[in-house]
Amino acid sequence: MSPDIRPDPDKLLALIGNDEGERARGHLKIFFGSSAGVGKTFAMLTEARRRQAEGRDVMIGVVEHHGRAETRALVEGLPVLPLQAIDHRGVTVHEFDLDAALVRKPSLILMDEFAHTNAPNSRHPKRWQDVEELLDNGIDVYTTLNVQHLDSINDQVARLTGIWVKETVPDTIFDSADEIALIDTPSDELLKRLAEGKVYVAEGANKRAAENFFKKSNLLALREIALRRTAERVDAQSDELNAAMGQNEAQVGQKIMLLIGPDPLSTRLIRHAKRMATRGRAPWYAVYLQSERHERLDEKGRTRIEQYLRLAESLGAQIVRLSGMRPAQDILAYAQQNGFTRIVVGYRRPKWWLRPFRGTFAQHLIEASDGIEITVVHGATGTAREPVTAGAIIRPFLARPLDYGLATAGVALGTAIAFPFREVTPSNNLAMIYLTVVVIVAARLGLGPSILASMLSVPAFNFFFTDPYYTFNFYDSYYYVTFAFMLVTSLVVGSLTARLSRHARLVSNRERETQILYGLTRGLSAVRGIDAICEVAIRHLSGPFSLDVTVFVRTPSGLQPYPQGIITTDMREMGAVNWVSANGLMAGRDTDTMPSANGLYLPLLAEKETFGVLGLTARDAGHPFNGAEILQFEAFASLIAGALQRTRRSDEAAESKVESENEKLRNVLLSSLSHDLRTPLTVMNNSVSTLLRMRKELPRKAMDELTGLWSQLTRLQKFVGNLLDMAAITSGHMKLNFQPYMIQEIIGAALGQVQATKEDRTIGTNISGNLPMVMIDGGLIEQVFINLLENAFQHTRTNGRLDIYVEKDADRLRVRISDDGDGLKDGDEARIFEQFQKGQTLRSDRSGGTGLGLAICRGIVQAHGGMIYAKNNRTLGQNAGSHGASFIFTLPIAPALPEGNLPESAL
Amino acid sequence: MTRILTIEDEHDIRRFLRTTLGANDMTVIEAETGKAGLQKASSQSPDVILLDLGLPDMDGMDIIRQLREWGRIPIIVLSARGQESDKIEALELGADDYLTKPFSAGELIARIKVALRHANRPQGDAPFTYDYDGLSIDAAARRVRLDGEDVHLTPIEYKLLAVLARNSGKVLTHGALLNEVWGKHSQDSQTYLRIHTQHLREKLKDDALNPRFIVTEPGIGYRLKP
Repeated sequence: MSPDIRPDPDKLLALIGNDEGERARGHLKIFFGSSAGVGKTFAMLTEARRRQAEGRDVMIGVVEHHGRAETRALVEGLPVLPLQAIDHRGVTVHEFDLDAALVRKPSLILMDEFAHTNAPNSRHPKRWQDVEELLDNGIDVYTTLNVQHLDSINDQVARLTGIWVKETVPDTIFDSADEIALIDTPSDELLKRLAEGKVYVAEGANKRAAENFFKKSNLLALREIALRRTAERVDAQSDELNAAMGQNEAQVGQKIMLLIGPDPLSTRLIRHAKRMATRGRAPWYAVYLQSERHERLDEKGRTRIEQYLRLAESLGAQIVRLSGMRPAQDILAYAQQNGFTRIVVGYRRPKWWLRPFRGTFAQHLIEASDGIEITVVHGATGTAREPVTAGAIIRPFLARPLDYGLATAGVALGTAIAFPFREVTPSNNLAMIYLTVVVIVAARLGLGPSILASMLSVPAFNFFFTDPYYTFNFYDSYYYVTFAFMLVTSLVVGSLTARLSRHARLVSNRERETQILYGLTRGLSAVRGIDAICEVAIRHLSGPFSLDVTVFVRTPSGLQPYPQGIITTDMREMGAVNWVSANGLMAGRDTDTMPSANGLYLPLLAEKETFGVLGLTARDAGHPFNGAEILQFEAFASLIAGALQRTRRSDEAAESKVESENEKLRNVLLSSLSHDLRTPLTVMNNSVSTLLRMRKELPRKAMDELTGLWSQLTRLQKFVGNLLDMAAITSGHMKLNFQPYMIQEIIGAALGQVQATKEDRTIGTNISGNLPMVMIDGGLIEQVFINLLENAFQHTRTNGRLDIYVEKDADRLRVRISDDGDGLKDGDEARIFEQFQKGQTLRSDRSGGTGLGLAICRGIVQAHGGMIYAKNNRTLGQNAGSHGASFIFTLPIAPALPEGNLPESAL
Repeated sequence: MTRILTIEDEHDIRRFLRTTLGANDMTVIEAETGKAGLQKASSQSPDVILLDLGLPDMDGMDIIRQLREWGRIPIIVLSARGQESDKIEALELGADDYLTKPFSAGELIARIKVALRHANRPQGDAPFTYDYDGLSIDAAARRVRLDGEDVHLTPIEYKLLAVLARNSGKVLTHGALLNEVWGKHSQDSQTYLRIHTQHLREKLKDDALNPRFIVTEPGIGYRLKP
């Protein structure tokens, strides 16, 4: 095996981690089909009934049976979650009740029609988002989906069938499902079922469209797409595994960049790039270059950009926003620096009258590209173009009327300045003054006013400075040229200046954002404590954005709002805040979740932990938050979360320091106490035993007293010994000396040690002869056996019976020590392993245990990586007896010897 | 009269040793420090030395090392519970046995008797005999009999049994056994030692759960009865 294809343990672990995460998260199974009527719901219900028969808690969330008898029959017997009635503009709509489902918490819930759009005012706009929340809460979900509802397939299906489906599910959600069951029905069979009326077809106007849809050619194509999409998913999964196993066969280093613009062609580009990335198994990025052109975009254009970026993100793309003045060069530079191998760009034929002047962006890109593959997607004529509105054309000229007045005034002022020089200098020089005015106007007031100034300059120059004065006539035909040059120069210089100053503004906006971020970072790093952090956050954010800022900090007693004293009474807002806090995702205005809320709520996330919620409400209620702003807010939120996390860490560190000081003190105390007690006890005990041997010389009464004294001393000695052991275990000073042993040897030694204390009890051993060796610290495990046996003596009659069982269980040995005493009281099973806890002893007059013996056992077994627990025998099933208790622990098995043969002498 | 040297700093333990040993007709020589102990060991030539490992002035291991440089007086180490590694080190440096505090008078006397018996036994490879509970070993004839019948052992098993028997009653550490039987260790030696011991037990009809001859001392080694 060469080193480069060795499995990467981290990746494998992450993959396993994925599995575990998904297990905790609930399992999603999608019944996937090429079109309606293939039998997805039927298959889902059939399987659900099977699960129910297996004893699972299955429940129907939503199932549309469309009146079909065979489906309806399957629904019967399955519990149905009642739908909730939602009032929408006077019409009552019945929708899936997410909250009721979360409260009821079935083990498996059926959610038909994965792509369904919820009624307005529902928590999530889409059903798949409801499903996500169910999964997050550990509920397994079965759902159904038709291929045309998959986002990346959507436009392909539309081109094939002419039907646009608005309800779509992001591919990332589809790809992250745990299981996809492809329900495949041959097209002829499907058409037959359609003819028999077994397929649900919408009534009314949609009926014709639907019938058009169910043409054999369409069905065949859809079936092919569905099969291919399922196969791609299987590929992607095996890639993930291969990558982790170090056998990545995907094209190495493929990385795709898609350029997004405001043109509606972008949606097609996105799906194209997604398919390209899936086939090439390559990561892909959707890039938007924020050039000065962005400034000229109207609100609709900017919204479109955000929509496209979000669509790309939902299809699995990484989002990148760049800014620059020279789009082609800037993008290529970024691509080269970041190792992109391919750029996908859209192309439209420019209008004929523009062709001689302007190359398209794609052309620029191709000319400048060096080694990077450029894929150009042609936006066919007839497809939707970027709508050219009057607004888009006049937008650059839009300025306040005052600005145009100022431009006019500027020209007048220029004239006034030039006037005294009319006779001393050639008039051409005076034209320069007008040019200066145009430049200043362009820089200060923008393109429109600068054009006005240019237009006004020429007649003003003509009127005041060309012979004959005060007329628009001129004698010298040479002035035609002057006027023409003057106009052209001022227009060009004016527009360039305006563009430059626009860019400067863009840069300064960015600068401002950076300043705010920097200020916030500095402010946050300078303060300690939650109150101060929230105060700084609110101060830095509310000013520059004209926002009302509230920070909700998670505390053990609930969400604590800052500024303090603010109480959000609006149930909807509070609902959004709580949802964000619980789910760690953003919600509220301009998001996918609870978009009807007034505020935008962002989770304060640091290292996947939610520390609270950042609430932002625009003072200008009409202003929507765009994607760029939300991104910026997310950056702020993560800064605040980081600060909160630091605060909590330092609090915890301080707490744990106190804790560890206490711990240390306790251990020092324990060990010195144990030592100082031990010596006098040994001496006393030995003195008493010496006295006990002088039987003949002492009166009987004294002998009785001495016997009592001796037994109490012995007990005390044992207690002190246990204290010393416990101190070693809890202080972490216990060093384990792992050696291989036959478990019988340890048990034999322990049995020898308890000979004196076992009285008339019988101890049976049930140990198979061919157990593997264990890898243990022999002395400590012997102690575990002694403690467990002596503990059992406390709870059994003096003629009771104990049994030791040892058996192999996977990679460990499991030891069970069973007694025939009265067993454990309910709730004692876990408690008895704590320090200074004692179970009910059988006879209260007998010297009880020290309350440490079992705690010591637990410490030792855990140090061996094993576990220890106690159970009443009657709970262990047959053969374990009907009374008494069992103490069970596991021990690690020693690694097998390298060779099977035992060398006789050559070692 | 048997002479016992106690090297122990705790006054009360010394007193207990004095009483117990005195009651068993032994003469006690006392030393409070390691230095005094070494000095008395050479000047008074005791039969057995009881050595506490936790002396204030000297490391117990150093004392054993120095005692072993010039003589073979049996040393019984007194140590606290849980200090298995100290016991092993002491045994491997040449101590003969150990007693874990708290110990009883009976245990103490029994250990001293084993130590005395050993001191009188021939050293090295000199032939010896062993006879206990039906098991008899005649080293000169290389013959092992159990309950009157010959037992056939492999060379390794015999070597193992012979080492244990020559030191019967005394704990042999894993390291000492490996050295004596194989002469060197490898990583898996411990496992081989266990397996050979197990085979030896089977041939001697011994049971690890209820040992008739070979006793396991967890964490330390093996001991052959008595």
